[in-house]
Amino acid sequence: MSWKIWSLKKSPWVFHVNTGACNNCDIEIVGLLTPKFDVERFGIKLVGSPRHADALLVTGVVTAQAAPRLREIYRQTPKPCVVFAIGACACEKGVFTNGYHVAGPVDKVIKEIDPDAIIAYVPGCPPKPEAIISGVVKALSAL
Amino acid sequence: MKLQELLNRLSEIKDKLTKIEQASEKRIYLYCEAENSYAVNKFLFEDLGLRFVIETGIDSGPPFNPIDCFEIIYHYSDDESGCVVNLKVFIRDREKPAIESITPFLPAAEWKEREIHDILGIDFKNHPNLKRLILSDDWPEGVYPLRKEVKK
Amino acid sequence: MTEALQNLFWVVVFPGFLFTCFAGLLVCWVVRKVSALVQWRVGPPLYQPFVDVVKLMGKEILIPAEAQRTVFMMAPIVSLAAVGLLATMLWRITIAPKALFVGDIVVAIYLMILPSLGLILGSSASGSPHASVGTGREMKLVISYELPLVLAFVVVVIKTAGLVGPGQQLSLAAIAQYKPVLSISGMLAFLVALLCIQAKLGFVPFDIAEAETELASGVLMEYSGALLGIWKLTQAMMLVVLPLFLVMVFLGGFGVSQWSGLLAGVGKYLLIVVILILIKNTNPRMRIDQAMKFFWVYCGITLAVAVVLAMIGNNYGIGWL
Repeated sequence: MSWKIWSLKKSPWVFHVNTGACNNCDIEIVGLLTPKFDVERFGIKLVGSPRHADALLVTGVVTAQAAPRLREIYRQTPKPCVVFAIGACACEKGVFTNGYHVAGPVDKVIKEIDPDAIIAYVPGCPPKPEAIISGVVKALSAL
Repeated sequence: MKLQELLNRLSEIKDKLTKIEQASEKRIYLYCEAENSYAVNKFLFEDLGLRFVIETGIDSGPPFNPIDCFEIIYHYSDDESGCVVNLKVFIRDREKPAIESITPFLPAAEWKEREIHDILGIDFKNHPNLKRLILSDDWPEGVYPLRKEVKK
Repeated sequence: MTEALQNLFWVVVFPGFLFTCFAGLLVCWVVRKVSALVQWRVGPPLYQPFVDVVKLMGKEILIPAEAQRTVFMMAPIVSLAAVGLLATMLWRITIAPKALFVGDIVVAIYLMILPSLGLILGSSASGSPHASVGTGREMKLVISYELPLVLAFVVVVIKTAGLVGPGQQLSLAAIAQYKPVLSISGMLAFLVALLCIQAKLGFVPFDIAEAETELASGVLMEYSGALLGIWKLTQAMMLVVLPLFLVMVFLGGFGVSQWSGLLAGVGKYLLIVVILILIKNTNPRMRIDQAMKFFWVYCGITLAVAVVLAMIGNNYGIGWL
């Protein structure tokens, strides 16, 4: 595989995006980045700007107000990049299936601007930090 | 103030209310019509010094009310007795529901009334800034999502 | 011709650019590993900083529409060139002390400011409100710590003035043979210089400009891809060059003539790096007004006392003052 993908697998920098979640998945993500789970051994680091990121951790069902902003953040992430949909709402709308203000789950919103986007799904409500780590590692080794 | 004193003071505005109901030891429901809402709210907030908690809007009908109407519930609480006073205001006009806003003397109600206007379409008179709050900018005008007749 | 090639070799490969890059990324790993051990966890593997830079070189460069393109792209390159030149100069002084010129401590101080200026210019060319807040804070920080840093070196020059030969007071090669830290004024100046180095490297408690959680990465917010990789390389090289400068000025330099001198030099360098890491891991971030007050008031008074003590010691020949 090319050296770009190899180095992406060894050092994925993550940026956390909340598109209208109930914050349960956000608490699990922030707990994941504490020293207890030590994700720095995989090279994972939390960065403050989407322009520095390789992986977007997206939580929440994408509300109609958040959809254009999520697309803008995706465009600002330099390619190659991976999008992780964390939680049942981000994977397939969850409890908000018939909601009136929902623009669709994460993959539908992102595939509108980039049909070749790489999207990985970590279901759960909320997924445990161990599940998120396992999901990230599996997605990176499948690249 | 203590519970008995609260009940005594509430009977001063008895003529503006349709019913006073004490559901349990710490819960009082007051029922009122839309025209008297401003005066009763002013009395509860300024004269009795109750704490304003939140404001709720409901598209109400059977079995809670015999005919369909809109209902706005103002929740107040009293520090000393721990009593919660709920003021239920009924808006009978379903075509153009309107009520006077309490923002002039209670600035904390500004965003709550904006949200109720956004979602239920109730017009608040004398509101300083009645703009769209939580629906997105390209949501169609005139479609109020939480009304019973709007189905997805 | 061969001399030009030889100079090119010194600047680019050893001991200039490539060697300092490699050593800088290695010291970056030491910083992350020691921080991890202090927090009771396993840290990143040895190749992690190298892979970070390689990955950044492979990503696309996104330039915001409102950015001033020329300054935006030239700022990291200018900073990298300045640090590379400084590294070459300092390593050449340790390896071949006779080949240098008088007054090189002034050139070294001048070259040390250029990366911070590059950061200010680059982030203000980004055209983004977060970056402009970061720019303002970086400017205030630079104003605060540059003066104490230069004054600390002035204390060293005063102390070694009587010991070096005539006309060599400002020559780094001559100063590097003495240990001014073994006196009261020297120790005070060394402590202040250590804190100024902490601010220049952008470590907590002074990482106000690149505050990750507050400002969405502040100054470096709009940089991506290879330009960000160049900034990370610059930071790694500063991590080699600045403690090396402190070792040469205060602690008696790197003695490359014998093995014992070399080992002692590496030990002194690692001591300074470990002190920086420990300060970094045990302190919260300061606000910009607290940092300005710290540098102007506390460090200023300490250095004034140190200068007075140094001059008294010089005049009356008391070595330990």
